[in-house]
Amino acid sequence: METINQLIELFPFAVMGSIIAGIICGFIGVFVVSQRVVFFGASLTQAAIAGVAFSFLHLIDLESFAASLFNITITEDSIFHHLEPTFFSLLFASAAVLIFTKAQYHKSLTQDSVLGIIFVVSIAARIMLIQKSPVAEVSEIESILKGDILFIGQREFYTMLVILAVIISVFSIFQKQLKFVVFDPESADAHGINSKFWLLVFYLVVGMGISLTTRFVGDVFTFAYLIIPSSIGVILGKRVLSVFVIAVIVGAVVPPAAIYFAFIFDFSSGPAAVIGVFILFLIVLGMKRVSFH
Amino acid sequence: MADREIISFSDVTIGYGKTKILEELNFSVYENDFIGIVGPNGAGKSTLLKTLLGSLKPLRGVVKKESLIFGYVPQRDLVQPLLPYTVYDVVMMGRYSLLGLFNNPGKEDKRIVEESLDNAGICDLKNYHYSSLSGGQRQRTLIARALAVEPNILILDEPTNGMDTPSHYSLLALIERLHKEKQLTILLVSHLLSDVANYVQKILLMEKYFFQFGNISEILSEDNLRKTYSSEFSVSTYNGEFIITSKKR
Repeated sequence: METINQLIELFPFAVMGSIIAGIICGFIGVFVVSQRVVFFGASLTQAAIAGVAFSFLHLIDLESFAASLFNITITEDSIFHHLEPTFFSLLFASAAVLIFTKAQYHKSLTQDSVLGIIFVVSIAARIMLIQKSPVAEVSEIESILKGDILFIGQREFYTMLVILAVIISVFSIFQKQLKFVVFDPESADAHGINSKFWLLVFYLVVGMGISLTTRFVGDVFTFAYLIIPSSIGVILGKRVLSVFVIAVIVGAVVPPAAIYFAFIFDFSSGPAAVIGVFILFLIVLGMKRVSFH
Repeated sequence: MADREIISFSDVTIGYGKTKILEELNFSVYENDFIGIVGPNGAGKSTLLKTLLGSLKPLRGVVKKESLIFGYVPQRDLVQPLLPYTVYDVVMMGRYSLLGLFNNPGKEDKRIVEESLDNAGICDLKNYHYSSLSGGQRQRTLIARALAVEPNILILDEPTNGMDTPSHYSLLALIERLHKEKQLTILLVSHLLSDVANYVQKILLMEKYFFQFGNISEILSEDNLRKTYSSEFSVSTYNGEFIITSKKR
């Protein structure tokens, strides 16, 4: 109990933030896994990081622009503070989504190749951008780029809360379109639901979720929590709703528990959260095999 | 009184981009028609369907349609869901396009879904997972979903592909029953001539750069089949049914 109190005292927003990040990834992960585009998550996390790296070049001063636009002074607490990294990670992720959705209808290209291209080009762009960055050491920038659960502050926490609200709202309000285009895009088109448009909308919302969680909690955490909780949901869920509920519960419960153990055994919290959810995945898989036999 | 013309193709060229697949298509679909669209793989049947549904624009010519509601049954193999949708969930999707952007299914939608399940003969399967069904049951589910739209025209794309013989004929019998009892206009696409020859009234034979359309007794000739399949067939009738066999046997 003393450790938990100490943890909450030292990193109050990290614990709550990890829960929100896990819920976001678990929720949108069901969409990613059911669309069979797992590599989409990996590619988008890299595109988002390339966006953050681009922001370090300070080619466009968005904070000053926002300050003059709203006639305000930007302080450390302002939502516009550190606007560029967030904005450019979103911009790069959205550009990657547009390239992916446009190219996947090209007859001679597979989804895998398009995502592979986005993935590798994003990494190459990140390396080149960091080399030209005027800010500090490369290794230092790399660690900033990749985010960390323990660095989640009040601003990051509330930003993620807003993202979660937006994602759940879009997916709930347009669940009919989502269900149909994910299940059978060709028939959705024939029945008057424009599958290309709706898939673009859902991919953009998912892209927003991935880019911002990557910015705050890192690419490894984001990618792992996109795939593993939703896979557990698919293994255990008997209804579509229960798949979502299981994925969200796993995403919410495992990260704070992992932070606790990481704190006790002095591990990095992000990788500990990934290993924690992987152990749970193995347990579920084992139990399912036992119950099957 | 003659049936109403509901679709007409006038000098239509179909294809993708600059690639023409078929040129100068001229034919009409009338209310309560039962038409088989037949041709070998790659003949352009799917392209013709997409043009008909409006998801592909004709490269040339005019496709006139009344304000029709299409019930579309895709190729079963293209629908492989990872999520545990029930048969009821899948059939309810048929109502989605009619509900508007923000509305949820109401009592009337649920009644229509139940009726569609009944018409497709799968009421007892409504709580089963779609992915746990056999090929024939999946196909009936997709037909029920198309019926839930309350369509003017039912379009089926290769509905009997990869089915065992009993399921195959039972499905064709279901389609025939829907045509007769519900007075549905039906377009049945197949690469299997035997599938359609004894069920449809009219046939559209197609191969790249070759196209014939008309009543089945006029079109189903050895000459037309040779042009379509580049192979020799003999066509005969027994007890009023067409028997089509390869001359190579």
